[in-house]
Amino acid sequence: MADTAVARPGLSRPGRPERGERMRTRRPGARREALAAYGFLAPNYLLLLVFVLVPLVGAFFVSLQRTDGFGDGTFAGLDNYARLVGDPLFWRALGNTVLFTLLVTPLSMLLGLVAATLLNTALPVRPLWRSLLILPMAVSGVATALIGVLVFDQNSGILNRILTAVGLSPVTWQSDPVPAFATIVLATVWWRTGFNMLIYLAGLQGIGPDLYEAATLDGANRWQRFRNVTIPLLGPTSFFLVVLNVIFSFQVFDIVFVLTGGGPGGATSVLVTYAYETGFVTRDQGYAAAIGMVLFLFALVFAAAQYRASRTKDVVE
Amino acid sequence: MSIHERLDATASGSPLAPPSVTPGRRARDRSRRGSAIGRTIIVAVVGLAAVSPLYWMLAVAFSSRAELLGGRELRLWPREVTFENFERVFASFPVATWFGNSVAIAVVVTLISVSTSLLAGYAFAQLRFRGSTALFFLALATLVLPVQVIMVSLFRIVTATGLYGTYWAVILPVSASAFGLFLARQFMLGIPRELIEAARLDGAGHVQTFLRVVLPLSKPLIAVLVFMSLLSSWNDFAWPLIALRENRLFTLPIGLLYLQGQFGSDYGATMAYALLNVVPIAIVFLVFQRYFVAGLARSGIK
Amino acid sequence: MPVTRRSFLAGSGALALPFLLASCGFVQTAPAEKRQGTLTFTTWGTDAELAGFRAAIAAFEAANEGSTVELNAVPYEQMFTNIDAQLQAGNPPDIFRVPYYTFGAYAGRGQLLDLKPLLSADRQAQFTPQAWAAVQNGDGTFGLPHHTDTSAILVNLDLFRQAGIDASEIPTSPENAWTWDQLDALGERLRAGLPADRWPWAYNWQGNGVTRWLSLLFQSDGAFLESDQKTPAIDSDAAREAVAFSSSFFTKNYVPANNTIASSSYAAESWFSQSVAMVWSGAFQIPDADTTADFEWTATYAPRNVRAGSDFGGNALVATANTQQPELAAAFLEFVTDAAPMRDFCRAASLLPTRGDLLNDQLEFDVRPELAPVFAGQASLVQPQDVAQVASPSMSAILPVLKEQLDLAFTGAQDAATTVTNLQSGIGAATGG
Repeated sequence: MADTAVARPGLSRPGRPERGERMRTRRPGARREALAAYGFLAPNYLLLLVFVLVPLVGAFFVSLQRTDGFGDGTFAGLDNYARLVGDPLFWRALGNTVLFTLLVTPLSMLLGLVAATLLNTALPVRPLWRSLLILPMAVSGVATALIGVLVFDQNSGILNRILTAVGLSPVTWQSDPVPAFATIVLATVWWRTGFNMLIYLAGLQGIGPDLYEAATLDGANRWQRFRNVTIPLLGPTSFFLVVLNVIFSFQVFDIVFVLTGGGPGGATSVLVTYAYETGFVTRDQGYAAAIGMVLFLFALVFAAAQYRASRTKDVVE
Repeated sequence: MSIHERLDATASGSPLAPPSVTPGRRARDRSRRGSAIGRTIIVAVVGLAAVSPLYWMLAVAFSSRAELLGGRELRLWPREVTFENFERVFASFPVATWFGNSVAIAVVVTLISVSTSLLAGYAFAQLRFRGSTALFFLALATLVLPVQVIMVSLFRIVTATGLYGTYWAVILPVSASAFGLFLARQFMLGIPRELIEAARLDGAGHVQTFLRVVLPLSKPLIAVLVFMSLLSSWNDFAWPLIALRENRLFTLPIGLLYLQGQFGSDYGATMAYALLNVVPIAIVFLVFQRYFVAGLARSGIK
Repeated sequence: MPVTRRSFLAGSGALALPFLLASCGFVQTAPAEKRQGTLTFTTWGTDAELAGFRAAIAAFEAANEGSTVELNAVPYEQMFTNIDAQLQAGNPPDIFRVPYYTFGAYAGRGQLLDLKPLLSADRQAQFTPQAWAAVQNGDGTFGLPHHTDTSAILVNLDLFRQAGIDASEIPTSPENAWTWDQLDALGERLRAGLPADRWPWAYNWQGNGVTRWLSLLFQSDGAFLESDQKTPAIDSDAAREAVAFSSSFFTKNYVPANNTIASSSYAAESWFSQSVAMVWSGAFQIPDADTTADFEWTATYAPRNVRAGSDFGGNALVATANTQQPELAAAFLEFVTDAAPMRDFCRAASLLPTRGDLLNDQLEFDVRPELAPVFAGQASLVQPQDVAQVASPSMSAILPVLKEQLDLAFTGAQDAATTVTNLQSGIGAATGG
């Protein structure tokens, strides 16, 4: 294959023909192409429509009601949303979710990048290290949190026992807000790093060694090679990972619910745990649905922002 | 050509070129060996840190109940390795049936979601059509919806369509995911248009092009999608619990919830059960990891 | 990897095997209409409890020709999320088990079958007054109390000895249960006599166990709701005293710092691991304690203040309002709460019966039978007017208020007076009264 005009993943294709030329050659095929595209999308979107979007619309209508779920609720307009604005618990949950995202995303991406870089070099028994690093992915969120409960228990957990054994003072992982927050961040980073590492590894292996050779010839040392070759070329990969990590951080539930239950005193309460408690414990289904809608709205805004940003990164669309 | 010009024109999917022999190689080799030791040490430390919670799960699974609750000194391995937790688990739950249910559901979910993701990802990556932007980020936004938010509405739909109480009540909603679509699009953006256009010029229809040109190039992507789909449906529990009604249809992760009793947990049995849950998927992982890790690099160029 | 014929067959074989283990879940096996004479019964339970239910079901089926009860055992964690969803979608089970503090949420919203017209005339008299009070809502009876449990105190005698406290100081009758002052003094001695990494006691108010804190409120003769189950009644000196007393456990270091309500570690675990010398606990822990605790232990009564008071824990059995088989459901509920089935269930599961003819010194436990009188005695201290408050339909909305405010008090973030004021307004908001 010729090495001219090849595409990079994440970027649009370069080398567009002249505008007039394009219109002439593409117009007859454009409609067929669009029809084919819709056809290709149909199975996936049909599933999404019936099992995600329709329930979402249902949840939206519930959010406009005051209901406990049993029987019909009373129409309440935007009351639930007005309540949200004035609800300190909601803002705390939102703040915690944002803080959680801001901590977990860069941490797991950075660790993933470091691990991928290491694994991309020649190492003895490399598959062993790679296996160790991706093994945490195989564990479910609930199991991760349960292991965390055992490890972080401040009275008899293994972590505090180790700390005491080496002479440090044990940390109150459950009863203080900051350490409790640290436990959910640590557990999630442990869980997610493997995935980030895998995607980065794929991205790294796609960077040809001849680029590094050229950089070395230009006089770059290892750090400069990393900074000026690796990082820019991993741009699309990083972008992709940022989107996924942010999205998954916003919807975190299992780990927080099982590990801290949102405590102590709501210090680790996040949007989805708050929505769950409101809907299924207090049984205020309308309010819970409103929280869900807000979550969805944030996701839409974020998705739109990232899509815009990725498009300006692309060559002209 | 300066490095910057090379960067602009580079392919991030080029096959790994053989190392070239350049002057100063022996000196570089020596320093490479030294730094290889350093790198190995670092990666070993990181690897062991990553795996130590799993080791702890293993240790607890093989510890006796008395040992877990008593004892406050630091022990890194159980005083006495016992199988009693596993015995308790197998005596209390139909593990084999639930294992079978999990496999059945995971396989069908994977078949459905991988094929729909491939099709949709291709459409977004390589086809032009109106509304692609809006449709794409609508799909992206659905990624953020955890099942807890739409649970009740979804349950109504599942009951209304008569799926409740069968595997399909789990299979179909779980297959409805935009994650695979997202991954597939990302990957397929890297397929050179020239190949596709060549096929079209040869007279192939869109479907033909997809089947004959795109799919063969996407084997690494398919491996990743199969992987991620198996993993997420294997570990899913919140929705299956609500959608499956009967105990005999339950999947394996639901058992973990059983062990979280009303007033406290049996940690030995919990970890034993978690181990049973992890081992099959971990084996699949470890055996097949090279198929997509190494292969992802070859993003479509022959 | 080249796919050889052999590897393909091997692979398919390996893949097919798990399918053989699976249930036939791809098609509907249960018909949409339930068979005449079939009841579906959803519950969670420990092994002993489920065995007890199965035995009772077998006996019922034998005594009622042609009837079937299908038991569906589900995890406790998600039980009520599922029940809620099923109720809303119109296909709930006929019968389910429900804690008394959740009972009101369903009864007060018309989701349960009113058993009053279906029960035999003398059924009410068979239960204790406090048990009967737990299943009332408005004018109807919406379930039958199946068993109860209440919290007494489990004592680690080894740790007592270590702190220089003799076993003879432990109360042996409800009349000489420790008063709050005596308990406080005991806490001081334990605190002084135990090393820094152990504590005098832990209280079992984690999560939905926050209802056990109410025992302290009742011991001060306080209340949190008026008899209309709506008007908040917690703004009282009794409540302030109860909050102050329980908060003092933390300030005086009588309990581990993570013995808060929102903690993910249960109090019993710290007792098993000998981090604490005493723990408030229900009788159901006894079998576990017997097998796991490798120290000498016993049980005694909970403290008293102005009076004795205890929580009415445990679960009722209810039928859903739209069940197709109301008579059969009522018959099953009556059968299961007859003397013999209830006695067998409670003895094996180490729980307390709700029948007057069983809650006496005839009560037997299979494990540590000499402790049965302590729990029976403790259960007899429960007052009906205390129980009726917990049966309020708004109880599930009140629980989060309790959890939040009490934890704020326990962590020192607010004093007793503020806590009680907030509780009053929070409970009012929850009940709309």
